[in-house]
Amino acid sequence: MASLSPGPLRRYRWKELGLLIIPFMILLLEMIQLPIAQLYQSTLRTNQLSIPFTPAILPTIRDLIPVLGLIAALAAMNMLLSFFFPKADQVLLPLVGLLSGIGVLMALRLGPEPLVRDPMLGTRQLAWVLFGLLICAATLFLLRNMNWLKRYKYTWALLGILLVALTIVNALRVKNLNSPTHDQLNFGPLNLQPSELLKIFIVVFFAAYLSENRDVLAEGNIRLGPLRLPPLRQLGPILLMLGIALLLFLVIRELGLALLIYGIFLSMLYLGSGKLSYVIGGLLVFVALGFIGFKLFGYIQVRFAAVSLDVVNWQNWSQATVDFSRNGAGQIVQGIIALSSGGIIGAGFGLGHAGALVPVVQSDMIFTALGEEFGLAGLFAITGIYLLIIYRGYRIAIEASNEFDQLLAAGLTSIFAIQTVIIVAGNMKFLPLTGIPLPFLSYGGSSIIANFIIIGILLRISHNTALERAGLA
Amino acid sequence: MTDVFLLILRLLLIVLLYLFLMQVVIAITRDLRKTAAISADVAGKAPPVVGHLVVVDSGPSNVLPGTRFDLQPQTTIGRGPTNTIQLTDNFISGEHTRLWFRNGVWYVQDAGSTNGTFVNNQPARDALAAKLGDIIQVGFIRFKLGA
Repeated sequence: MASLSPGPLRRYRWKELGLLIIPFMILLLEMIQLPIAQLYQSTLRTNQLSIPFTPAILPTIRDLIPVLGLIAALAAMNMLLSFFFPKADQVLLPLVGLLSGIGVLMALRLGPEPLVRDPMLGTRQLAWVLFGLLICAATLFLLRNMNWLKRYKYTWALLGILLVALTIVNALRVKNLNSPTHDQLNFGPLNLQPSELLKIFIVVFFAAYLSENRDVLAEGNIRLGPLRLPPLRQLGPILLMLGIALLLFLVIRELGLALLIYGIFLSMLYLGSGKLSYVIGGLLVFVALGFIGFKLFGYIQVRFAAVSLDVVNWQNWSQATVDFSRNGAGQIVQGIIALSSGGIIGAGFGLGHAGALVPVVQSDMIFTALGEEFGLAGLFAITGIYLLIIYRGYRIAIEASNEFDQLLAAGLTSIFAIQTVIIVAGNMKFLPLTGIPLPFLSYGGSSIIANFIIIGILLRISHNTALERAGLA
Repeated sequence: MTDVFLLILRLLLIVLLYLFLMQVVIAITRDLRKTAAISADVAGKAPPVVGHLVVVDSGPSNVLPGTRFDLQPQTTIGRGPTNTIQLTDNFISGEHTRLWFRNGVWYVQDAGSTNGTFVNNQPARDALAAKLGDIIQVGFIRFKLGA
């Protein structure tokens, strides 16, 4: 009888369970608010009378089913981790659970909106999150031995190239590069975005390769003025991988992915070699490449023009600027208006208008919808959650016992960080807007699955590290 | 009335979000304190440093001259990961040299290496006593023994 021994109870992840309580409360609270808010808004549209507050407008248990299901899944995950991986990090699951829960709620809320028109959006997002939790558990079980990832590094690189090739073929078939779905692969009813998995393959390959060639790379034997460059023979495979990824994404107009992959490359090179000069050299190359891209591709110029738009000074806009703000930069301008109308405490969940005004609000522009409904205070809290996840990831990397685990954990966390920065800055008009999802909040199955795989790998690395520590002590 | 209820829910949400953040930060801080205490424990238990080896001639290896290595009362030098001082050099054997400090005197003995250990150019196949300032050669790397 396991219950008689104090072991399982003492080993139970109480801290994680304790941290999950407030997220559960938040999710329930929002789920209760959603139908009331929708009723409130529809009454406001028809007649200006205020509706009386009676218990009848409170949602029934049946309305709460999506969130109750998610809560049950998170609690089950907590139990599973306690039994099989008791020493894995206890802070990640509550943070990720809250983020993905808010993502499901936003999908439920935005589904019926005029610009989305997809009543099943929330249900599907919920299914993806549940499936993602399963995948996360599967990742934890499968990665019994990290060396397996390291040994087959060229296999991962090859799979990555295959994914890129599939994307390219699909993009050429679709032809219309301006359609938002040109980077998706359709397998029956599933729309897969191969780029989401590609970034994981790239990080695994970089981590395995860099951990093997770290000494040579750290020496740097080619001098170029004040900069010391790593030997080309060792850098060759990485540069090749990087070149393929970058070139192809520029060809099919995936600016955000190119930016993300280059960012991962630079941060991992710095983590592996500890040389700031490589990063400076890389940034110079990036500026040069960016300038060439700016001159060559018209669509990049449009994106930059949108960034330089002076929204605050809208009263003095010329007719050309007004036209541009309606067509070329319409998405960003509407997003900014949504953000500003949210104010400090927000319009309230379910009471904003981003779903009716901002194009692609359910995935790329989700941050503006959050900003409108949860306000500046809510955005700060959400950014705080991201920061804590990133902090925890780097902490796991620092504590990991071997170079490959360290580089892998740091690289995966860097993906997460860079992706969040790129899309949030894009939404707020600090960077050119690019179509990559906000981790865990945006609608999209591939993104959810890929991010849960990342979390699974991080949890596994932290569990392995703790086991090794306990074995040594 | 409903708008008041909605406003309360809105404020409650923000309060809960920040409570959650606070709870996580507290949990993390507690974690950090615990690991700091554990590493302080480990540092407290570490054997005392009773001497140094300073590289005077690195030979063919990539160890920089002037590098200082701490000596514990029982020290082993070699390429293997179990050694107190690990040197990655082709001329260093897996377990190369043993040094120990007894009654105020350092003793040096070769641990069955290929390229030998020397104290002041005398082969140390058997244990040799060494004074401060003596030259100890491990493979082709020469060290000076210091306090």
